[in-house]
Amino acid sequence: MFYSIRHITRFRYAAPVHESVMEIRMQPRSEGPQALRSFQINTNPRAQLYAYTDHFGNAVYHFNVLRAHEELRIESQAVIEITRHQILPEAADILEWERYNGYNLNHDHFDLLEQSKFTQPSAALSAFIREKNLEKPKGDPLTALKTLNTTINEAFDYESGVTEVHSPIDHALSEKRGVCQDFSHIMIAIARGWGVPARYVSGYLYHRPHSKDRSGADATHAWLECYLPSLGWVGFDPTNNVVAGERHIRAAVGRDYADVPPTRGTYKGPTEHELATAVSVEPTQAPVRHEDFLRVARPMSSPTPTPSMPERLYHQQQQQQQ
Amino acid sequence: MSAHPIADSNPAAQPPFSAYKLGAAYDEMFAADGSVRPQFEALANRLTLLPPEELQRRQQACETSFLHQGITFTVYSDKQATERIIPTDLFPRIVTAKEWEKIEAGLTQRILALNLFLKDIYTDGRVLKDGIIPRSMIYGSKHYRREMRGLPVPHDAYVNVCGSDLIRCEDGKFAVLEDNLRVPSGVSYMLANRDVVRRAFPNLFRAQGVRPIDHYPRELLATLRALTPVREDVSIAILTPGVFNSAYFEHAFLARQMGVELVEGRDLLVNDNVVYARTTSGLKRIDVIYRRIDDDFIDPLIFREDSALGVSGLFNAYRAGNVVIANALGTGVADDKAVYAYVPRLIRYYLSEEPILDNIETFLCREEKPLAHVLANLDKLVVKAVGESGGYGMLVGPHASKSEREAFAEKIKADPENYIAQPTIQLSTAPTFVEGGVEPRHVDLRPFILHGEKTVIVPGALTRVALKRGSLVVNSSQGGGSKDTWVLSH
Repeated sequence: MFYSIRHITRFRYAAPVHESVMEIRMQPRSEGPQALRSFQINTNPRAQLYAYTDHFGNAVYHFNVLRAHEELRIESQAVIEITRHQILPEAADILEWERYNGYNLNHDHFDLLEQSKFTQPSAALSAFIREKNLEKPKGDPLTALKTLNTTINEAFDYESGVTEVHSPIDHALSEKRGVCQDFSHIMIAIARGWGVPARYVSGYLYHRPHSKDRSGADATHAWLECYLPSLGWVGFDPTNNVVAGERHIRAAVGRDYADVPPTRGTYKGPTEHELATAVSVEPTQAPVRHEDFLRVARPMSSPTPTPSMPERLYHQQQQQQQ
Repeated sequence: MSAHPIADSNPAAQPPFSAYKLGAAYDEMFAADGSVRPQFEALANRLTLLPPEELQRRQQACETSFLHQGITFTVYSDKQATERIIPTDLFPRIVTAKEWEKIEAGLTQRILALNLFLKDIYTDGRVLKDGIIPRSMIYGSKHYRREMRGLPVPHDAYVNVCGSDLIRCEDGKFAVLEDNLRVPSGVSYMLANRDVVRRAFPNLFRAQGVRPIDHYPRELLATLRALTPVREDVSIAILTPGVFNSAYFEHAFLARQMGVELVEGRDLLVNDNVVYARTTSGLKRIDVIYRRIDDDFIDPLIFREDSALGVSGLFNAYRAGNVVIANALGTGVADDKAVYAYVPRLIRYYLSEEPILDNIETFLCREEKPLAHVLANLDKLVVKAVGESGGYGMLVGPHASKSEREAFAEKIKADPENYIAQPTIQLSTAPTFVEGGVEPRHVDLRPFILHGEKTVIVPGALTRVALKRGSLVVNSSQGGGSKDTWVLSH
């Protein structure tokens, strides 16, 4: 199966800014059943792109724009091929828990077992765990993780605009609403609490026509992967209550969102800016048809008139994963 | 004026030493029986011959000279003054050639082992797989920089400038109290102290065979130059947090001495993965940055995004090898006070040698038994937070009140991994000019180690003095003073 992914990000500023520096984690990973066939990034204003591989194995592109500009547009285009995913058994055997003892001790998964920035334990999380009986399960871990996936899916309503890109999990836990980023963080926190190594996946989801997916079709997607000693990494998508499969296109993995935002950047100039993003994922045989599909994520805040803007460094608003 | 005592009688009984009281600690100048140690004889004889007024005059000249040079150190917790001079003491501390030989060998060994350790934990992690040090201690450290994983640094030298704190214990042996591997400061005081004391005792200084230290800035420059493959027109900059930093004087001093740029983050920019300084004549490429900014603040794109001190994109230029940063990032994980306890084991592991310099016995509160011991003996121990420096976040048990100790015990219980404890060491004392005479004050010793293509230790150190009688806290940031340190050539 081939997919073509197009991802446009546009920053607009209230007044000219300069010295934009930007990092991008959008290139689909090439491993396992997923192979990257082509990838390109274009920026406007044009900039020289540099790349490196971060310590999670994610491809990171970066560039800077020195001269004044009022808009910065990043367009990435990828073609990937996904071969058949491994068929998961119904359940793992009960000895799986014991296999963790040897495994976790001898592998470098410390970071994926420790809670990270967005998965910090809290009273709200403990209350949720108690309420839904999500203490460390007695049965096998695969069944338990599938149940957890479903429990989270049913406990929360999908609604964008309630939480924000930097929201702690408590926000979604108290509102009982949120987006894929929140659900993934909550499930990671609980899985790690059980002693299951868990990582955050940033990527794209192909939405079939008339699909019942809750996640937004025009945004990046996020889910998580849990390590099972006898099965390897298994992806769970609590937003859509599925095990990640042939429609999930992995771009970057990390401890949580903080490690893998699709864009992260700074610039100098006035603080007001507007972020718009658009994403399309299509099987390549389908024609790519997406002009004018930029969606304004948040309206420009009304600028307070300041006669002379101080030269300060501002961070680009980041896109929440939905 | 009355006749002064003759020089050949025991100087210990003469002014200014007649009221000098030896305590339990090792004294740098006087042996337990009250006799003067050989390396101090010439100085002692000289001082007993000087009228007290003359001594006072020279001490004052010394202080005035510091004020005029603008040598200052900010004390953050001091409510009255935001800037104060680091009081210098006319009375030098003397280290014999034999003592220095051991210190030099011990510190060289230590810096080698610590650099091998840093390379290991940022590449293969052999020391973790072999179970020599717990993973949680490294990965759980707030100074461990995952961004440094797999990133090569020139000559495998992560720590290019190190300031190690040594103390002399009751038995007269030097031991390492702390390795400062991030942005150690104090070397400018070492050089400035030498300047004023040499002027106060010009003849004595020459006669004693004191080894020179003036070449430190040259050696630092050579160390920094050797870190870059660039051979012609190497451009070096010192990156300072700015004038409000407590060590700004030192940053400016070193820049002047080495003839390199002194820059703040806003003076630098990264374009196409190359670092430039904004100068009056346009952009100038920078090859090596001697940074005096903590990791956290150095690049808001990668680390703390609220940092206004750093340079956006600097880390990526560094990663690409287009600029060298000294010290490398992520060195703080190795001078953590908990990791300190493992350094003797690390020396054996990487070098197959026995440590030349001792460590101080250290109780890790993260471990159950030591924790119980610490809580039961708070009145005898010094407790420190593992990630802090500069004497912040510590409890000196014997000098704390009962309620202070109880409050601290709660802090330890709430976060045991964050604390270590050590026995209260009677740091050695050295004669120090105080109001109305000469009294013993506790001192430590901070030599500076340069490490890159080779390891160089300039034969000198900053001797820090706890100015309050009986106090064991020598940190400049806690209001300590300092002394010139003479390393003898024979």
